[in-house]
Amino acid sequence: MSWSAVAKKDFTDALRSRAIWAISVVFILLSVVIAYVYGSFSADQLGTEEVTAEGLVFFLASNITLFVSITALVIAYKSIAGERESGSLKILLSLPHTRRDVLLGKVLGRGAVLAIPVVVALAIGAVVGSAMLGEVAAQALLALLVVSLVFTFAYVSVIVGLSAITGSTTRASMLTIGFFVLFEFLWGIVSIGIVWASNGFSLPQSTAAYPDWIFVVNQVPPSGAYTTFLYALVPGASGNAADIDAFYATPWLGAVVLLFWLVVPAALGYWRFSKADL
Amino acid sequence: MLVARNEPDMAAIELDGLAKEYSGGVTALRGIDLDVRDGEIFGFLGPNGAGKSTTINILLDFVRPSGGSARVLGLDAQDDTQEVRRRTGVLPEGYTVYSRLTGRQHVEFVIESKDADDYADEILERVGIEDAADRKAGDYSKGMKQRLTLGMALVGDPDLLILDEPSTGLDPSGVQDVRRIVKEESDRGTTVFFSSHILSQVEAVCDRVGILRKGELVAVDTVEGLRDAAGTEARLRISVGEYEPEDVEAVRALEGVSEVQQRDGELIVSVADGSKTSVLTTLEDRGVAVNDFETEEASLEELFLSYTDEEVDA
Repeated sequence: MSWSAVAKKDFTDALRSRAIWAISVVFILLSVVIAYVYGSFSADQLGTEEVTAEGLVFFLASNITLFVSITALVIAYKSIAGERESGSLKILLSLPHTRRDVLLGKVLGRGAVLAIPVVVALAIGAVVGSAMLGEVAAQALLALLVVSLVFTFAYVSVIVGLSAITGSTTRASMLTIGFFVLFEFLWGIVSIGIVWASNGFSLPQSTAAYPDWIFVVNQVPPSGAYTTFLYALVPGASGNAADIDAFYATPWLGAVVLLFWLVVPAALGYWRFSKADL
Repeated sequence: MLVARNEPDMAAIELDGLAKEYSGGVTALRGIDLDVRDGEIFGFLGPNGAGKSTTINILLDFVRPSGGSARVLGLDAQDDTQEVRRRTGVLPEGYTVYSRLTGRQHVEFVIESKDADDYADEILERVGIEDAADRKAGDYSKGMKQRLTLGMALVGDPDLLILDEPSTGLDPSGVQDVRRIVKEESDRGTTVFFSSHILSQVEAVCDRVGILRKGELVAVDTVEGLRDAAGTEARLRISVGEYEPEDVEAVRALEGVSEVQQRDGELIVSVADGSKTSVLTTLEDRGVAVNDFETEEASLEELFLSYTDEEVDA
């Protein structure tokens, strides 16, 4: 259980960072505001179909994707590249830890650091929102908690994995920011570009005429997969998977994609890290 | 578990044709053969860039060799690296401490990682930073960081201590402490392997010394053995009365004399062992008063330079 010692040290270390505390406080306050806003206004005012306790879950979820993606990047992009660059990795690896322990410990340690504000924000947001709505969607809120934690660890795992690829923090920051920009900002354009290219370099007349498989492409970003996964677990929520008639058109695809992000980048990072001269 | 120190002839470190060429094409090691015996204190000497750290990094599997093999405590340094590091205490070169964690937290992390039963306070006391135990290591001075890291290397009663340039950043009393700790560890049977580019630090404690130069091991011997091998030239300091430049020339012309320096009232003559008397008699025959003289053995520092002079602008 060597990774647990690494995770524990990393957790203790990161908890002492003031930046993490500051950003967490902002996030938690934002969750309260969001829950308060959702509970205070009518559906017409908010532009949603109806105000329900389940709807609150998706409202809170939108805050999670933004906070987790940015904070994961901030707290984890240097997790391995930075230790390699500064030489503190030499202390870690002078001890009987394998490089796999180090990578795993980093994912778990930093993931746990990020999980604390996520859990706190969800708990407070749920209490405030439910109190104002006068009803508690217990199952939906539990689903939100579970999916948010999977999302948190998946995102941290991606960033730590990318950080393990290189020994330079500059390159690590380019890789992780590149990932963030591509998958969180530009993916809509990438998705349209893929349709355009596959359709003989022209776009179909309407989005309704887009091929069904574009649903899969749209689930690729971690935050897209997160929302879709949430649809699978929140009772009564369907999302846009229901519009398509194909075996892959299920909100559980979100779970598959999150699992991919949880495992593959970290495995890739490990593969490079395990062969590197430090 | 096989305990290496019970087998008298076992090598604690065994390098066989060890070579390393980095991906950039830089050759750091050109085939090193070396046996460090179990229980000895071995000094690994060489100027900066000679390949000392590369060798140590291979022992710890930070770096993979491009040729040859390295065994540590009878284990393969690459295949059994975790077990090697479980039984080895390391003071690496070019490390940084975790600036937000305290000294005590550092030591506790090592104790937990090695599953050892040491007390953090005892370790910190041994290296003399017990008063700073609960301060963030980021605020430590360079010497205190070095003491902390040395303390971390002592956790778990290692069979082998690997110290890469241990006196970096230490004041003279720190260097003394390192020497004391190395002796204490050696007395308990620990093999100590430490590198330095400063010979005087190695001279005082080491059973044997290896000198590395441009990726090659140019000498491995005891300190005395190295002195003998480097020739028996000594320095003769002669306190003299009045003399003329010709007298100096006459001494310089003698067989066995390689150098004569003049320093207020003294002649310092570098001379082969057998020729000391002829220097003195020559001076006396020429009417130069010899008030006093003393012989100094060649310092190991000069010896070291003679092995590595191409790197050192001496």
